Amino acid sequence: MFKKEKRTDNDFNSPADPVMTSDKTIIGEQITIEGAIRGKGDLVIEGSVKGRIEVETHHLTVGPKGKVESEIHASDVTISGKLIGNINAKGKVVITKEADFNGEIKARSISVEDGALLKAVIELSNRSDKKGFTVGKPEEKAPPVTKKEPLAPTSEASKGK
Amino acid sequence: MNIYAASEHQHPNDVKSGPEATEYTSNALKLFIESIDPQPKGQILDLGPACHENIMYLAQWIPKLYICDMFSRLVQCLHNKHPVHQIWRQLDYPPNSFDGILLWELADRLDGQEVGTLVKLCYTMLKPGGLITMIVSGEQRESSVVNSFVIGQNLRVHVRPQSHLQLPLCGRQNRDVLDMMSPLTPVRSFVYRHGLREFLFKRD
Repeated sequence: MFKKEKRTDNDFNSPADPVMTSDKTIIGEQITIEGAIRGKGDLVIEGSVKGRIEVETHHLTVGPKGKVESEIHASDVTISGKLIGNINAKGKVVITKEADFNGEIKARSISVEDGALLKAVIELSNRSDKKGFTVGKPEEKAPPVTKKEPLAPTSEASKGK
Repeated sequence: MNIYAASEHQHPNDVKSGPEATEYTSNALKLFIESIDPQPKGQILDLGPACHENIMYLAQWIPKLYICDMFSRLVQCLHNKHPVHQIWRQLDYPPNSFDGILLWELADRLDGQEVGTLVKLCYTMLKPGGLITMIVSGEQRESSVVNSFVIGQNLRVHVRPQSHLQLPLCGRQNRDVLDMMSPLTPVRSFVYRHGLREFLFKRD
């Protein structure tokens, strides 16, 4: 039912794999579990799980064929399958393009690939509480937006198409 | 409502690889973001395709960011030959929930009847004084490929085609846009040289 695998360095080929414990447990594609899961170790779900999941200091992965309805507490979470429920992650949540997620995410950071299907509420724990007009690298002396744009107002009729 | 012609200049880092490759500085987004109180209960609803950059940008300062990708649901709905009105069940948020709603080009992908339903829902979900920003394509952009409008530095928006999402495009004139968004009040709009138009509407 469960496979216990020794992890090698090659298993950590995604930026979402920061946890460096030696073991992970895989819930296989043919397995359905109803009930709480709690443990100390990475968990990969390829089957169906309904119930609370607590792997507080470890990495939870919902694989492309995984179907999960759950309240999740984990260090980091990667979603590639279908997940309905809430995620409380101390670290990062990664949502890949195959994912179908419906629920709330509380995490330190998040990564989302184009193509993911989301209905989500996102709360980041490291919010700045400031509205910045920059993202990514610091701006290199760009002029303020308002000084160049807009130009002189024109009438709706003259611009309307 | 004034319609402003916004200048469009080549950005040093622009990569123009086709008719869909476009960048511009978004005046509507600037006004939208400036108007929203980030504390203590600010809430924004983003109806666009999942976009990492936008999520990171918005979730960095808004306490709760709501995302409901209506484009993918619309594609699925049409693919399965289901009635379009089924997608509106996804917008089951309580009345007066949001300070702002980002429609992107969703209305451009819907017929008039469905836009009417969308506007009613948005009106209900918005708090009084809340804003909606939307984008309408120009005549020369008739692609069925849906775009993500990726927020970059200093609200420089990069248009990123989502080739996995294809929907018919309904071109509309400004007056049609204003009519279809009633009873929301038009606040400002901007037209850019590549034909994109941005509109900002408010619930009074």
